[in-house]
Amino acid sequence: MLKTLIGRELLDNLMTFRFAAAVFITLLLVVANTVVLLKDYEQRLTAYNKAATESHEALREEKTYARYAGALIVHRPPNPLSIFNLGLDKQVGNKIEVYHAFVPTMWDAEKHGADNPFLNLFTSIDIVLVFQGVLSLLALIFAYDALAGERERGTLRLVLTHPIQRGYILLAKYISAMLCLLVPLLISLLLSIILLTTSATVALNADDFLRIGGIVLTSLLYVSLFYLIGLCISAMTRRTSTALMLCMFVWGVLVLVYPNLILTAVEITPKPDAKISVYNQIKQTWEELERKKKQFIRNDTVLSLPSRGGEDMDAGFGLEGVEYTFWHDKDKPSILLYFHQTGLYAGKIKTESEPQVPHVQNYYSFYNRETINTVQRTWLVRKPALEAIYVQPANLGRMLLRFSPVGLYDAATEAWAGSDLEGIQDFFSTVQRHRRAVVDYFYDKKIFESRQWFAADKGTADWDALPQFSFQRSDTGINAKRALPDMLLLLTMNVILFTVIVLIFIKSEV
Amino acid sequence: MWHIAKRELYDNLNSLRFALATVLLLALMLTNAVLYLREHPKRTQAYHNAAAGAIKTLESRSTSLYRLATEGPGDMHKAPSPLRFCAEGDEAFLPTHAGGANYGRRIANMTPIWRMFYPQKTPNLFNIRPDFTTLDWAFIVGYVLSFIAILFTFDSISGELERGTLRLTLANAIPRHIVLVGKFLGAFISVNIPFAVAVLMNLILISTSDAVQLNAEAWGRLGILYGIVILYTCLFIALGLLISAAVRESGVSLVVLLLIWVSFVVFMPNTLASIGSRTSVPIAYEEFWVRRMQLADAAREAYRNKYGDSQTTPSVHVLGEYVTSEAEENEDYNEAYLKLQIEQGKRARAITRISPTAIVQRLFESFAGTGFERHLQFIENVQRYARQYREFVIDTDRADPESLHVVGIQEGMSQKPVSPEAIPKFKDTLNLNRDFNTAATDLLLLVLFLMVIASGAYLAFVRLEI
Repeated sequence: MLKTLIGRELLDNLMTFRFAAAVFITLLLVVANTVVLLKDYEQRLTAYNKAATESHEALREEKTYARYAGALIVHRPPNPLSIFNLGLDKQVGNKIEVYHAFVPTMWDAEKHGADNPFLNLFTSIDIVLVFQGVLSLLALIFAYDALAGERERGTLRLVLTHPIQRGYILLAKYISAMLCLLVPLLISLLLSIILLTTSATVALNADDFLRIGGIVLTSLLYVSLFYLIGLCISAMTRRTSTALMLCMFVWGVLVLVYPNLILTAVEITPKPDAKISVYNQIKQTWEELERKKKQFIRNDTVLSLPSRGGEDMDAGFGLEGVEYTFWHDKDKPSILLYFHQTGLYAGKIKTESEPQVPHVQNYYSFYNRETINTVQRTWLVRKPALEAIYVQPANLGRMLLRFSPVGLYDAATEAWAGSDLEGIQDFFSTVQRHRRAVVDYFYDKKIFESRQWFAADKGTADWDALPQFSFQRSDTGINAKRALPDMLLLLTMNVILFTVIVLIFIKSEV
Repeated sequence: MWHIAKRELYDNLNSLRFALATVLLLALMLTNAVLYLREHPKRTQAYHNAAAGAIKTLESRSTSLYRLATEGPGDMHKAPSPLRFCAEGDEAFLPTHAGGANYGRRIANMTPIWRMFYPQKTPNLFNIRPDFTTLDWAFIVGYVLSFIAILFTFDSISGELERGTLRLTLANAIPRHIVLVGKFLGAFISVNIPFAVAVLMNLILISTSDAVQLNAEAWGRLGILYGIVILYTCLFIALGLLISAAVRESGVSLVVLLLIWVSFVVFMPNTLASIGSRTSVPIAYEEFWVRRMQLADAAREAYRNKYGDSQTTPSVHVLGEYVTSEAEENEDYNEAYLKLQIEQGKRARAITRISPTAIVQRLFESFAGTGFERHLQFIENVQRYARQYREFVIDTDRADPESLHVVGIQEGMSQKPVSPEAIPKFKDTLNLNRDFNTAATDLLLLVLFLMVIASGAYLAFVRLEI
């Protein structure tokens, strides 16, 4: 009996104009946007490859280890699955310096191949966004007259004269509508995957297909939720026109109005004075290091601080053969970044300065170690402060978005694609680990206290022996774990709505 | 005709959609006003502080003409528009100031002279909040009002056709076009009532607040904006009537309308912009920096080849020529790059005109004095001021008979103090006439759209078999 019902519903739905129009428009939008996104991805990939090669070569031109400051740069590759959900993949920085004087975070990153700012005025449309707008609308269009229409036409009464449970009728309607909605979803996804695989630059592996599978599953839950919303409205109202209006307004509010309204309205800025106090604390820690450093030099029997105009110069020590002294510092209160490094580069140290060299080595051993300790101390304050200033407001926004299915869908698909905040932070934690590895390597090989740290005359820096940076996107399992809470929420909403509909429908008079 | 319009109106006024539309529009417009009143005073305050700071910096440089020539006038800030609640214009992505810099390649320890420089803003770099469109009038009209217009008209002909009342109406001796116009008017008024009420509430809230003062010009602009809203709603009502007459079944007509709406309003502007911007891509910002430095290096190399190494100090005139030409060349390059970026932005925006929503968005930005066009105006203001400032420096120098008239060199310039009041100050202004010119094409396009769709609706209805 269920089969007959499903068959009837399917025929009813499939042979309609709305179905044809829906398939057509979804295909058109998805294909057009996939082509645009693919071109964009290719462009970003080219920029990434170029930047990565340039950085690789730039580092190898340096002779002394100390000059890795500002030259050891790693780049974030674009995520091919960002075509499905762009998330933060494009906007967050993708070029970051690895240096022992600060812990690299997302906020310290810059952008290679930065865009024309006048193009930021347009939002990029990804495949999930198309589904989010079009498929939800379609689901409601399929649903609004499913019960109210049959009731008006009187066919519902005829069907109910058969000895079938009312729940079965609902189930048949649900299954057939979902089958119909699957058609545009799957065909358009298929086309976009074909487009992706024909492109030479996009290499999708088995894991990526699993992730795409996750996106499809989430899309199904999302579409089904909108179908059930429509069905619920249809079950509650007696007239199709009322049901239609309610459906459309619910769509307008959930998809169009609520997300924008809530994100505009909720003002989430942390207190500026809290930011300033953290920044001052960080700065003080660094100034303390500066004092310790000067003390160390004063206590040294051989080294002395050369002064210019009554002010102590930071480095130089009167060493003959110094090419120049350097300052490497960043002072960005907005992202609570502060560090100050000084040192010297020597080409060929003259023989009369040779006795000073062990002292300089000793100094660098002390200074670099202390710098790393200072970074560790400031990181303890900086990390929670960055969380409070940037991450928490963003998470609050995302949390508020979850009151609309749109927010849940977006969050879950972002997690599957790996373009969500956590996915991006994976990269930056890899960079942090890389920094640790480089520092450990410098400790192990005693590079901080070596002559090659500042002088290039007896052996130069061996950059190929440095730990190599490599970034792998997280496992599918981790993606799934991140997407699961939102998917479960979607599922729960589905189940609750279905139960509500069954209850309403069983109680309703025909 | 009035009879039909009235009937149509009564029908709509009692309907569920009218109530829902009123509630929705009211909620949106009130939120818009409240948010504007929260944000705008902060914005103006920040602007005034920044502008006052800039003037202070400028006056502090008035100790010598040489300082004015090398350090420049400081940052020039963009005045926030009081009508920002009408169109946000993605101002968050646009720089709020332009300025200059005096870094270049040095010769013989000469300070390079000031040149214009246009900062880039990448606010996205720190922004990890989810994407959203700001709730401005442009959004409320472009998306929500057009959606409501469709919901009011999709069944106005097909519905009557299905119920058979259309046949009854036409049985009377009324020409069909009168029926159509009547329906059009009815729908138009019923869409406009909730919108007008919402706008009224919005404006009452804004104008009664002490925080913001709208002047006569701003009210004039608001009037023009309301005219644009009327044109735009007419467009969607005509579209609704056209599809409703052409398709005959209200269910189908709604689906067709919604799909048209989704593609033209939601997706087309952005997708087309992405395609349009791809036709010619200027070099990336970093590469621009690299090339800039290469150019400067080449100029310095040329100088060294001509006058030898910088160790021997050349004459004041030779140095003056170098610093001036270095700054000019550099500024030209900055400007050329900015121009390329603007061209790309313009191309991307031009192609979006296929969508009436994009046209309305542009028009709103033009008249609200926000967004891309406004930024171009700001850049023009800045460039005009930079010329004026330079002329001032040169003229003041000429007025001093003791000076050698070599701009950019300490010994070559007038040593007399400059009065801080005499230095021209930057003032950012909005110009309505200009807005009219830039908006004229867009307005014309919108009218053309309306005419095409309205005549389509007329033809479809006249030929309709009942």
